[in-house]
Amino acid sequence: MTAVILDGIVLGLQFGLLAVGLTLVYGLGGVLNLAYGQMAVAAAIVVALAMDAGLSAGVAVGVGLLAGGLFGLLLDATLLRPVYRLRGEAQILLSLLLTLGVAFIVDGLLTWQLPLEALTLNIGGGAVEIFGVPMRRGSLWASGITVAAFVALFFFFRSTMLGRAVRSIIQDEEGARLVGIDPNRMRTMILVSSGVLAALVAVTRSMSIPVTVTSGISFTIFALIVTVVGGLGSVAGAFFAGLLLGIINTISSFYIGTFLTLIILLSAAALTILIRPSGLLGVAE
Amino acid sequence: MALLELDQVEKHFGGLPAVDGVTVWADDGEILAIVGPNGAGKSTLLKLIVGLETPSGGSVNFGGEDITQDPPHRVRQRGIAMVQQTPRSFPSMTVLENVAIGALFGRAGSHREEEEALESAEEVLSFVGLADRRLDYVGNLNLHQQRFVELARAISGQPKLLLLDEVMAGLNDAELSASIELVRTIRDRYEVTVIWVEHVMKAVMSLAERVVVLDFGKVLTEGLPEDVMREQSVIEAYLGEEIKLA
Repeated sequence: MTAVILDGIVLGLQFGLLAVGLTLVYGLGGVLNLAYGQMAVAAAIVVALAMDAGLSAGVAVGVGLLAGGLFGLLLDATLLRPVYRLRGEAQILLSLLLTLGVAFIVDGLLTWQLPLEALTLNIGGGAVEIFGVPMRRGSLWASGITVAAFVALFFFFRSTMLGRAVRSIIQDEEGARLVGIDPNRMRTMILVSSGVLAALVAVTRSMSIPVTVTSGISFTIFALIVTVVGGLGSVAGAFFAGLLLGIINTISSFYIGTFLTLIILLSAAALTILIRPSGLLGVAE
Repeated sequence: MALLELDQVEKHFGGLPAVDGVTVWADDGEILAIVGPNGAGKSTLLKLIVGLETPSGGSVNFGGEDITQDPPHRVRQRGIAMVQQTPRSFPSMTVLENVAIGALFGRAGSHREEEEALESAEEVLSFVGLADRRLDYVGNLNLHQQRFVELARAISGQPKLLLLDEVMAGLNDAELSASIELVRTIRDRYEVTVIWVEHVMKAVMSLAERVVVLDFGKVLTEGLPEDVMREQSVIEAYLGEEIKLA
């Protein structure tokens, strides 16, 4: 049981970080980015290609994170511009349609051009015992990186003025504009960050299991479920919901079966909407 | 030259004129009240100045520059701050954080240090008398205090023009007097011009130096408060509506 829960925490941290990139973009720009998982996979492929080209793993990961950020920048500067100008239902619908299109295009290109396995990062060395459970070094590295990313995110949003400015737009965009904050600049920054986060999750994921060219859709679905449970626009909510759902995921895979796990996670999300529509820590409208 | 000049400003919503060719100005350092019955276009006029709405016609000039098409954050950085009737502070942040955001972002070329922003926020907060609440979350303050936070946030960017949209609605007598006094002190100390949309006539009579009356999106009349309130057309515009002198 301890092993299952530890595995759940490893997975949950990654779920949480994955969701941060989705939930911030939604909170800030009203964009539900269905191509989010594809951003992660595309970045993973850049890492793999960079390593094939002879770069060291560390440098290759750096290039991959850059590529993720660039993907975000590109979306922000092109397709999402008309989305930002809309409000309410029209805004969400247009963002869904446009990003779904991007997801299809990226998926198509990747499966057409590349082998199934996109990226596996082998972290060498034997298992490390934690609470008497042997853990793979890859999982520990992944968790360490993810926790460090969360610490950085919390610091940014709690303790820097730029982070507070981003939160102010999530809470009240009109109010933020009236105190001199340019929402477009903040949105660009967050879109780039979400690309980097997606890339980072793909990289840490590939330290324990291979990321494939078709992983995109499942990345997006997990991020969506965690976002719903954690609350839109909340980093802390994504963190806790990620952990919770990660643990539920491994327990259910272990005792019930993988085939039902996604249904259970989706039910958790549906239940959250019914009981607490703004999520665990979401900003109530 | 006037600090702010609105020339034949119009705004139509679906063909209906909300603001219909308004020409007003505000001189440096004056307290100008804009009054009028409900639906006269007062709040819309303020939104047109700060860029929350874009005029359908006419122009807005501030300090000799055309700001008609500027988005709100640009207008703010040029030196026009607004406090609205409904508090728009950020409830999950502390009083100090709210005001510091205004100090940091609400100024042109706002690349000042965060430290400096926090310091000037502290100073403004002690000025409005909220120093001891600076670490409280804004969501825990009452309406009157939240308005003071907004005032502090507005002046923390050291604007040249302060727009107030019915900020005295819903206050009791003591709070009203405190607010009137505060606006006057803000003007004197920070040397700002105040344009102030208000429904509470008692406050207008004791604070405004000049009054513009709007009705159906047009300027009905303007002048000294005591003169304007005696005019027959103003009394008629308010007929059917209780003039809140009390």
